Amino acid sequence: MVVVKIKPLSEILKNLRGFKKIAIFGCELGSARCKNGGLKEALQLKNSLEKEGFEVISVKSPGGTCILEKVSKPLLEIEKGCEVVISLACGAGTQVIAENTNLPVITGVSTLFIGAEKEGKYFDEYCIACGDCIISDTGGICPVARCPKSLVNGPCGGAINGKCEVDSSIPCIWYKIAERLEGLQKLEVLRERAPFKDYRLAVYPRKLEVEETT
Amino acid sequence: MNFSEKLKNGKFIITAEIAPPRGTDWKSVIKGIEPLKGKVDAFNITDNQRSMVRMSSLVMAKFLLDYGFDPILQLTCRDRNRIALQSDLLGAAALGVKNICLMTGDFTSLGDEPKAKPVFDVDSVQLIEIAKILESGKLLNGKEVKGKLEFTVGAVYNPFAGPKVLQEIKLKKKIDAGASFIQTQPIYDVKVAEEVNDLVEEFGAVPIIGLLPIKSLKMANFMKSLNPSSVPDKLIEGLEKAMDPAQYGWDYIIDIAHAVLEFGRGIHFMLVGKTQELANFIDYLRNDSPYNHRF
Repeated sequence: MVVVKIKPLSEILKNLRGFKKIAIFGCELGSARCKNGGLKEALQLKNSLEKEGFEVISVKSPGGTCILEKVSKPLLEIEKGCEVVISLACGAGTQVIAENTNLPVITGVSTLFIGAEKEGKYFDEYCIACGDCIISDTGGICPVARCPKSLVNGPCGGAINGKCEVDSSIPCIWYKIAERLEGLQKLEVLRERAPFKDYRLAVYPRKLEVEETT
Repeated sequence: MNFSEKLKNGKFIITAEIAPPRGTDWKSVIKGIEPLKGKVDAFNITDNQRSMVRMSSLVMAKFLLDYGFDPILQLTCRDRNRIALQSDLLGAAALGVKNICLMTGDFTSLGDEPKAKPVFDVDSVQLIEIAKILESGKLLNGKEVKGKLEFTVGAVYNPFAGPKVLQEIKLKKKIDAGASFIQTQPIYDVKVAEEVNDLVEEFGAVPIIGLLPIKSLKMANFMKSLNPSSVPDKLIEGLEKAMDPAQYGWDYIIDIAHAVLEFGRGIHFMLVGKTQELANFIDYLRNDSPYNHRF
């Protein structure tokens, strides 16, 4: 999922200067899952904003704000009587909203990363969308995203007691890769030198065109 | 015989490490290593080590050449993409810098420009491959390189980093890719030095054992924080008891150096001060030690 973090109220308020009537959009697909921008947080924001004297005329949280058909109807409903939209969806969802309304749109979150959830509480970055996936060779664990140096041929010499030199609160991901591959008796795959990565595949903005099938 | 020739001829090698200045005063660096002229075979020039800004290692390497020293240019993947790395390697070859030591590099945020963008376009194994591709007369993209270049390529190995099995696989990849010498992180245990020596030789490169004299208990604890298993308890205890910890630390690594001379191929002094003492020690090794025939 795309992981987002809700912005401090003070920052949201700064962007609301000059507005009075507000619609809030959350997103049940990503933002809700990481508890930083679903319906619950949208309603909390509504309360906070009303205490500040704003008039919140609508709170919606579709399942998938980046999917036009999910937001087109809710967007039509707020066109009248609303001055500004606050989106708690990720960067993609917020832009889909902005592209499909004449109202100004401000974001109430910062989009962080593509991540995975643990215990409903911890979210870790698992993928940087490099466009050239190698995890079949690394035990299903991505060193490109989960090693700060994105090393593809094995660990650097900097891990201390199995912890990453960059952040001692995270493990060196190559320990996990070693453990996994040893368990699968597949260490052999790492004896081959990894090819140079093709970073053209990571040059944004990227696009995907789905071919029509007959 | 220069560093590269000694490497090929199986002679015992002594290298030492110096850092370019944090500024432009390269002359004091040259002056500092003057006592080691003709004694240390080659000097590693660190590349913004610990991600701290210093003068370009390539420029410093050229100054060493001009003053009659043999440099080993260190180059990290941290600050350059494959275009810049190839460009610097071509420049090194053109300047006559033949020895290179290629490594990943410490992470950006650990140094004194923590907000800098890390690069890591390629890794250390791939950087070695790049050097070998350039030697073959081509760029990585297959285009022809005008003019010949030849490197003596080295790499690094930290015997205290893990996971052990992957570190060893990576070491072998580096050697298979073309590293002909391997310099290690500081080792304070003869047994570890011997194991590393054997491992590197088995994989087909010349091991050069890293030694860094410990000057104080504070420094020992710092080393321990970087690499807990690298600093043995007996070294800590010795430093605690010593009247002169700096002397103790020096004597300690000299003992290891003696041992390495028996079974090993080379020593890499990551020297902090003690230049004259090192010069005297090398004189002793070359002239009076029972192993002087190996130099």
